[in-house]
Amino acid sequence: MSVQAAIADVAGHLPAAILDNEELGALYPGWDADKIFEKTGIRRRRIAAPGETAGDLAYHAAEALFARGTIQREQVDFVILCTQAPDYLLPTTACILQQRLGLGTGIGALDVNLGCSGFVYCLSLAKGLIESGAARCVLVLTADTYSKTIHPLDKSVRTLFGDGAAATAVVARDGVAGRVPPIGPFVFGTDGRGADKLIVEGGGFRTPRSAETARDYTDNSGNMRSRDHLYMAGTDVLSFSLREVPRAAAALLDKTQLGKDAIDYFVLHQANRFMLESLRKKLDVEPARLPIHVEECGNTVSSTIPLTLVAMREQGLLTAPKTLMLLGFGVGYSWAGCLLNLQQEKL
Amino acid sequence: MNAFYEGMAEIFEIEPARITPEFELGSAEAQWDSLALVSTIALVDDCFNVLLDGPSLAACKTIGDIEALVQAAKG
Repeated sequence: MSVQAAIADVAGHLPAAILDNEELGALYPGWDADKIFEKTGIRRRRIAAPGETAGDLAYHAAEALFARGTIQREQVDFVILCTQAPDYLLPTTACILQQRLGLGTGIGALDVNLGCSGFVYCLSLAKGLIESGAARCVLVLTADTYSKTIHPLDKSVRTLFGDGAAATAVVARDGVAGRVPPIGPFVFGTDGRGADKLIVEGGGFRTPRSAETARDYTDNSGNMRSRDHLYMAGTDVLSFSLREVPRAAAALLDKTQLGKDAIDYFVLHQANRFMLESLRKKLDVEPARLPIHVEECGNTVSSTIPLTLVAMREQGLLTAPKTLMLLGFGVGYSWAGCLLNLQQEKL
Repeated sequence: MNAFYEGMAEIFEIEPARITPEFELGSAEAQWDSLALVSTIALVDDCFNVLLDGPSLAACKTIGDIEALVQAAKG
């Protein structure tokens, strides 16, 4: 009997505090709220409270998923948490969540340290676990709190990133021989030459935090940060994305022998509106087929794709049959794409 | 070059007729900051199908310098 992995349900969770453009505009000379919105497409970001971690956000996203009733916590036999803001250096935050969520002890749990590409990578891992027979119900959690690593006076990143989490249930479907796979195929990409283009340098073992790494400096664009803060080389990250994302999309279509018109929606990592509009032009698809979901939450890193799926479901866009292309890309550099085929069931 | 000049004028929010090869980047009315650089990378890619390197673009002093970079990248 053949088994296929499918997404059974997805839910999101955002922290309570709001950072809006009015507050940011007051901090940055020459930038007002309208300009920030015009350039980024973002009006508000949600910010984790002091002491509120990505683990907490992931916990609430998982509870929101269980509250929907599609899957029961007793079914979960593997947890994957994608985050770059673990509760501790060790132990693994996914292990802590096993206990907090009241999941069985006979399950697997691990963290994945990836950013904006992470959701697609986690889907590939979940599919592998299920279709190899190792697991039946994988809880994929994505959660990050980049706000905690951003200098208040660094507009290049503070205008873009928001905190958030999502929980996605990937389950086994039996007796599906010959059917189109609900998840896949995949394409992956990695280019470590981009490591210093999106980085928090201080605080790991290569560069431990010190008085030196904590020293603030101001860059040519008037942004302030230290080596303990998030740094993004915006021009390089944009060039990387404009180069690799269209290639990944083409490689995926090539793998499936599908034409671009067979894709109902291109669900891309929601970096910001400018990046998405630039990619949309390169991919040559009309606006209605490339959803933009950044206005109320900004760039939530690995949660942008599942949060966009939640928003699309609420808008009634995900009734079957639908074929979606997911494309995640960013820190690493790391990127990945896959198809979601919602044929028999809606998400 | 028209679409490129119009795009540059839009980035600096000035009249398109003002954009010439001699137009200077980095003045009070044409801030050559990270936002302008990112916008220009996307514009050049759209107009010429060329992805410029961030630091080289940042070093440009005039519109003509950008055009020279594009020509060099096209080989």
